[in-house]
Amino acid sequence: MGGISAIGNTVAENRTSLIKGTCGMGRLEMFPSKFSDRLPVAEIKISTEALKEKLNAFEPGITRTTLLALHAIKETIADSRLTNEQVSSFDTALIGASTVGGMCLTDEMQRDAQKDTPGSEYLASYDYGSTYMYLQKRYSLNGPVNTINTACSSSANAIMFGARLIRSGKVRRAIVGGVDSLAKFTINGFNSLHILSPDLCTPFDEERKGLNLGEGAAFLILEREEDATGKKIYASISGYANANDAYHTSSLSDEGIGPYKAMRDALVSAKLDPAQIDFINAHGTGTENNDKSESRAMLRLFGKVPAFASTKANIGHTLGASGAIEALYCILSLVQQELYPGINFKNPIPETGLEPIPTYQKTALTHIMSNSFGFGGNCSSLIFSKA
Amino acid sequence: MLAIEPSYDDIPPGVLRRMGKSVRMGTGAAMPIVKNNPKPDGIIIGTANSGKEDCVKFLNQIIEYDEGLLTPINFVQSTPNAIAAQIGLLTNNHGYNITHVHLGLAFEFAIIDADMMLNENPLNSYLLGAVDDISNYNYNYEDKNGWYKKEAFTNKPFYETNSPGSIAGEAAAMFLVNGNRSGSIAKLLAVDALHDEDESVMKEKLQDFIRKYLPAGERIDLLLTGENGDSRLLKYYSICESVVENNVSVARFKHMSGEYPTATAMGLWLCCNILQNQSIPGHMMKYAAATTRYKNILIYNNYKGIQHSFILVSE
Amino acid sequence: METAQLKQQLKKQIVESLNLLSVKPDDIKDDEPLFGEGLGLDSIDSIELIVLLNREYGVVIEDPKQGRKVLVDINVMAAYIEKHRKR
Repeated sequence: MGGISAIGNTVAENRTSLIKGTCGMGRLEMFPSKFSDRLPVAEIKISTEALKEKLNAFEPGITRTTLLALHAIKETIADSRLTNEQVSSFDTALIGASTVGGMCLTDEMQRDAQKDTPGSEYLASYDYGSTYMYLQKRYSLNGPVNTINTACSSSANAIMFGARLIRSGKVRRAIVGGVDSLAKFTINGFNSLHILSPDLCTPFDEERKGLNLGEGAAFLILEREEDATGKKIYASISGYANANDAYHTSSLSDEGIGPYKAMRDALVSAKLDPAQIDFINAHGTGTENNDKSESRAMLRLFGKVPAFASTKANIGHTLGASGAIEALYCILSLVQQELYPGINFKNPIPETGLEPIPTYQKTALTHIMSNSFGFGGNCSSLIFSKA
Repeated sequence: MLAIEPSYDDIPPGVLRRMGKSVRMGTGAAMPIVKNNPKPDGIIIGTANSGKEDCVKFLNQIIEYDEGLLTPINFVQSTPNAIAAQIGLLTNNHGYNITHVHLGLAFEFAIIDADMMLNENPLNSYLLGAVDDISNYNYNYEDKNGWYKKEAFTNKPFYETNSPGSIAGEAAAMFLVNGNRSGSIAKLLAVDALHDEDESVMKEKLQDFIRKYLPAGERIDLLLTGENGDSRLLKYYSICESVVENNVSVARFKHMSGEYPTATAMGLWLCCNILQNQSIPGHMMKYAAATTRYKNILIYNNYKGIQHSFILVSE
Repeated sequence: METAQLKQQLKKQIVESLNLLSVKPDDIKDDEPLFGEGLGLDSIDSIELIVLLNREYGVVIEDPKQGRKVLVDINVMAAYIEKHRKR
C-alpha cells in the first residue's frame, strides 16, 4: 500500500494523524486563487517543484496530479517487495483513476485551448489518462493499463476493476488506486454549485454546510490468494458493487436509491448479512444532500447502522483519489484492529439521529464497508475483510 | 470531420438543452437501443474527450469573471461520466454504470469490462459504447501537438498524403451485448491492447493474439485497420498487414470517421454491418482479396503510435 | 426601463441562458411558475438564474434557498429586479 494526503506523506504518517484526529484543512497556498482565504482546503504542503525534486521527475509536461500518483505508487511498490520484473510483467495490471488529470493546470489549459496561442509543454497532459500513461512508461509496464473516471467513485471502481481482472484470470496482480490534485477548476466548479463549506466540513452534522476539497493519492496491490502465501497480506476484498442512482446529474435521490443498491449488492457479493459489517467508512462529504441520502440508505439497509465515520473531515474530499485513500484507511483499521474518530461532529441530523464514532478505539473488526458516491449517480461500495 | 446530428427525438428538450455534444451523440445513439430492447443490466462507456468543450467553457468563465460568480452547468457537463449517467437517468437504469477514459484504449477497456460482466452474469445484457467529440478546444490541443494535417486536401487521396497528421473526427457508437448467440449480429471473440512504440513488440503481440484467439481451422477474412493518413504511423499498419496472410482483404475506415481516441467503436460498428450485409463499400478497400464469405474480422488500431488495440469479431 | 419591457427582456434572457430549446420568450406567461410545474426548471437552473441576475442587473442573491423565493415567476422576478438592481 502507499498513500499521500494532507495528513501524511506516507501510510504510517496518515495513520498517526488519523489516530490523533488531525484535521488537514487549511489555507490554499500552492497556487494563487481568490479562494485562498475564503475556503478551507486539504492541501499537501509540498510544492510541485519540490515533488519533482523528491521524485526525480523532470519530464516536460509532468503535472502535480502525476507527481502525487508517482509519490504514492513508489511507496506502494516498495512496500510490496515486488521485483521490477513482476511489476512490469504482462500479467500485472495498473488500473487508476483521476477526475482532474492535467486540469490542475487550469490557466495553461485555458490558454492552450485558444486557437492563436502557442502550445505549452502540457498539451498532452490534460487528459485523465495522462498520469497512467506516464506511469506505464516510467515503470515499463507491459500489462493492462487503464484509467477510470466516474467522478467521486472513480478509484473505488478502479479497485473493483482490478479485482475483477484478477478474478477473471486475465492478470495475476493489479496495482489499483487513484489520484487528484487541487485545482482552480474544481474549486470554482464545486463553488458554483454552492456545495463548498466556508468552514471546516462537518460530515453528518445537522449544521453541515458543504464539503472541503482535498488532494491526495493512494494505491494498493491486489494479488490472487494463491500467489500471496508467504507475503504480508493486509486484507482481502470480499465484496463490491456498482449501482446508479439515476436521479440527477449532480445530486443523490432523497432516499439514496443508488447508495442503497450499491451497499446491498456489495453485501450480496460478499455473502454477508448487514449485521456482519463492523464499520462503514462513509462517503460523508458534509453536503446536505449526500449525508442525508447516505444516512437514509444506511438506515434502510442496516436498520441498526454499524459504527461509521467519514475521513473527509480529516483529508477533505479528494475526488478521484477518495475511494482509494479511504480503502487504504479501512485496511489500516483491519490490520491494526482500530477505528479512527469522526472529527468535527457536534449534533446528528435530527431525522436520523446517526452519529459517527467520536473517539479513537481499539476494537475487534472483521468486515468493513467503504462507500463512494459521485456525480452522475455513480455509487460504489467495497467490502474489506480481515486477512 | 464533424458529426451530422439528428433531431434527437428520444431526448426530452428539457434534458437536451444542457447536453454537450458528446453527451447528445452518446445518448442519441443509445436511446433507440434501450427503447427497443429489455432494459440492459448496465451501461459501460468509453470516452477520452467528452466534456472537454464544457470544461474549457467553464475555464473561460473562471478567467473572464476572475473566479467570481460562475454558472455551474458547464462544470457539471464536463465530467466524462455524464454520458453514461445521462443514459442511466433517462432510462431509469440503476444497474452497473461505468466510464473508461484511457485515451486510445477507452473503448477497448469498456469491451473488456462488458466481457467480464457477462462472464460473471451470463444472463445479463449491457449497453456498451463509445463517444468522442472534436470541440474547438480539444482540436487546438491536438493540432498544436502535430496530430492533424497542416495542409489542405480532399478525402480521396487521404491515405496517400504522405505527411504527418490525420484529420479530426467525432462519433458515437453503441451496442447491446449479451452472452446469447441467437439473434445476435456479431460475436466479439477477443480484445487485447498494448502500450509500446516499438513495432517489433507490436508484431509479436499481434501474432500471439491471432494464435491464441482465432479458432482452430479458421482464417481471418478481413483486416480492418485504423490507418489514418499519418505517415509516421504507417509502419504499424504495414506490419499488421504483413502478419495476416496474403489473401486477406484489407479495409480502412478513418476516411469516413476521422481520427479520435475511440474510433475503434466505429470500426466495430462497421464490422457488424459487413457481417450482416456480407459486403464492403469499395472506398473502404485497400486490398480486395477473393473472399467468398466474411466470417472472421480482425480490427487493428493504433493511437498516437503508442496504444495498440486488437479486436477479433466473427459471425 | 418600463416594467413590461423588463419582463420581455427577462424572458429572452432566461430562454437564452438556460438554452430552452422548445420555448420562445413570448410563450412564458408572466405568472407561470418557473419551477416544479410550468416551465419545470430545477436547482441547477436556479443557480444559473441567480448568476444571470447578478451579471445583467447587479442583483445579489447570496444563497440559492433565498433565490427560490425570488425566482417564482416573471412578475416576482421583475419586481425584485426593479427594487434591487444596480445596473
